[in-house]
Amino acid sequence: MKFGIFHELSVGKPWTAESESTVYFNALEQVELADELGFDQTWAVEHHFLEEYSHCSAPEVFLAAAAVRTKRIHLGHGVMMVLPPFNHPIRCAERAAALDIISGGRLEFGTGRSATWTELGGYRCEPDETKNMWDEAVRAIPKMWTQDTYAHKGKYFSMPERPVLPKPYQKPHPPIWVAVSSPETAIQAAERGIGCLGVSIGTPGEYEKRVQDYRRVVKGCEPVGEFVNEQVNGVTFLYVDETDEEAGTWGTKLAYQFAYLAAHLIGISSVYPSTAYKTPGLLFGLRAGTEERAPGGGGVIREGMGIGSPQTVIKNLKMWEEIGVDRMVFIINTAEVVPQKKVLNSLRLFAEHVMPAFDRDPQAERATAASSTAGA
Amino acid sequence: MPDQGRLTEDQVTHTIPTLSPLYPPPPWKLPGARMLRIVFETDKEPLLANLPAKLTRSSPPYAVVSIESYSDSPVGPFAMATQLIGCRAGFFIRAFALQTVVNSVPAMAALREVWGIPAKQGKVGLSVKKTKVRGSVSRDGELAAVELIGREPIAPDLCRIDPTLALRLAPSLQQDTRHDLIQLVQLDPEYNISQSYRGRGSVSFSSSSEADAWDILPSRNVISAVYCELDTELPLARFVMPY
Repeated sequence: MKFGIFHELSVGKPWTAESESTVYFNALEQVELADELGFDQTWAVEHHFLEEYSHCSAPEVFLAAAAVRTKRIHLGHGVMMVLPPFNHPIRCAERAAALDIISGGRLEFGTGRSATWTELGGYRCEPDETKNMWDEAVRAIPKMWTQDTYAHKGKYFSMPERPVLPKPYQKPHPPIWVAVSSPETAIQAAERGIGCLGVSIGTPGEYEKRVQDYRRVVKGCEPVGEFVNEQVNGVTFLYVDETDEEAGTWGTKLAYQFAYLAAHLIGISSVYPSTAYKTPGLLFGLRAGTEERAPGGGGVIREGMGIGSPQTVIKNLKMWEEIGVDRMVFIINTAEVVPQKKVLNSLRLFAEHVMPAFDRDPQAERATAASSTAGA
Repeated sequence: MPDQGRLTEDQVTHTIPTLSPLYPPPPWKLPGARMLRIVFETDKEPLLANLPAKLTRSSPPYAVVSIESYSDSPVGPFAMATQLIGCRAGFFIRAFALQTVVNSVPAMAALREVWGIPAKQGKVGLSVKKTKVRGSVSRDGELAAVELIGREPIAPDLCRIDPTLALRLAPSLQQDTRHDLIQLVQLDPEYNISQSYRGRGSVSFSSSSEADAWDILPSRNVISAVYCELDTELPLARFVMPY
C-alpha cells in the first residue's frame, strides 16, 4: 500500500490579508516534508467558488510550486475539471504535460466533473451533460498527448488538426484517474481502464463492494489511454499522535471541521433534479457520521480513519489493505484547525511508525503505469 | 361556596375557541396535493438578516418559492405560497419559512398557531397547463409570480424537498418579556410523489409594501423549477430546538 496527502486548501473565516497565503505555504511545507519522509503522492483539488471549503482553483500552480520543492513525491491533480466550460480539453492536456515535464515525470492525472451547484452554476455548465462532457474529454486527452497531431469533432468541443504541445515527460503518458464518489462511477472508471480515485470519505465496509466491482470490470476494459491504470485510491483523515486520546482530540477537530464546511456546499442533487447526480456525492455522506460530537469539541472517529496512536492507525489502515485498496490518501488539516507544528509531527510519526508496517514495494502493486501494457 | 367551573385542563380543546376550534389538531393528511417549487440564488445580506442566528447559509445563498395547492384537508381545500431560505442547521440542509400567504382563514390560523408558519391571508394561484405551470401570490396586489416553462417528466425520486424549519412564537403579555415561547421546529412531512416534472424556471417579485416584502430576497439566478403531484401531510414536529 502506498500513501499520499491531499489538499483542499481550505481557508477558514475570519479572513485576513494573510489567510490564503498562510494556508498555501503551510501546505507546501507539508508537501516538502511528505516528500522527505517517503510519502508517495500529494494531491490537490480543483474547486471554484467554495468559500472556506477550498480555495484551490488553480491547482496547476500549487502543484508546480510543489514540484520544484520536491524530488520524488508524485503530484496529483485530484482532480482537474476536464469539462469544456471549465477548462478546454486542449488546455488540460497542455497544462498537465507541462507539469509532468517540470516534475520530471511525477504527474498523476486525476479527472472529474464537479458535484456542486456552486461550481457548475458558476460556470453555466449544464449538470445533465457533465458525465458526457467528461467522457468526451477523457478519451481525447490521451490522444492529444500521444499523437503527433490531433483533430476532434465532438458534441462538446471540436478542433482542427493541431500538434498539442508539449508532450508529457512520462511515456506514453501519465496515469489517468477519475474522482469516484458513487458505485456507478467506479464501474465507469473500470470500463475505461483508469484509476479509481476515491473522493468520498467512507469506511472500508462502504468501499468494499466498489473495489470488487472495479476489479471485476477492469479486467475487460477498453482503455481510453495507452495503458490500464488499475489502481484504487481511498481517502480518509490522518492525525497521528503519541496516544489515542491526544490524537483523538485534534483528529476529530479536523474531521468535524472538514465535514462542517462540506455541509455548506450545495450538492447538485440537493437543488437540481438530474439523473446525472443521483447520489449526494463528494463528502456529504460524512455528515451523519460526524454530527455526533465527541468530548473536546471534535467529531467522532469512524472505522478506518487514520486518527490515533501509531498502533491504532496501523490497525485501521490494515482494514483498507484487506479490501484491496492500493493507496490511501490523507486529509491532514482543514482550515488550519490543527496547528502546523502538530500536522508536521503527525506526518513524522506516521512515516516513522506506520509506514514500516505496510509493504510498499513497487513490485507488490497490482499494476502500475510503468508495468502495464496497452490494452492489458 | 360559589360554584366552580368544570372545564379542567385535560378537557380544554387543543386550541381556542374552546367551544369550536377553527381547525383539528395535527397531523393533517393532505392527499391530492400539487406543488410548484422554484429554487433561486439570492443576495447574502438580506438573507442573513432574516435567518435565525442558530442557522447558517450555504454558498451561494439561495431561496425557494413554493406554491402549494391542497384539494383535501381537514379544513377543506386551500392553497398557500411560502418563501423559504435555503440554509444549514449544523450539518443538515434545511429551509427556513420566511413568509407565507394562504387563502383560507382556518388554514392560516392553524399554520401560524400550530406549526409556526408565518402565514397571512391572501390569494394564491396555481395554474397547470401542458407545457407550463404558473403560480402567483397576492395581497392587495401581486407579490410574486413564478413559472415553470417547458415541463418534462422526471423520476419522482429525483425531487428533493428539504425539511422546513419554522419559528413558533407566543407573544408575551408580561412587561419586559417579548416572548413566552420562541422555538424552531422542524417539519419533515412524508412526500409520496406520483408525478413530477422539471423545466426552466422564472421568478418575479412586484414592488411591495414593507408589510409584504416578497422582493426582499431577489432572484439573481434561477437554479431549478419542479412541479409535483403528491400526497403529503402537515406533520407533528420531528425536532424542536430553543431559539
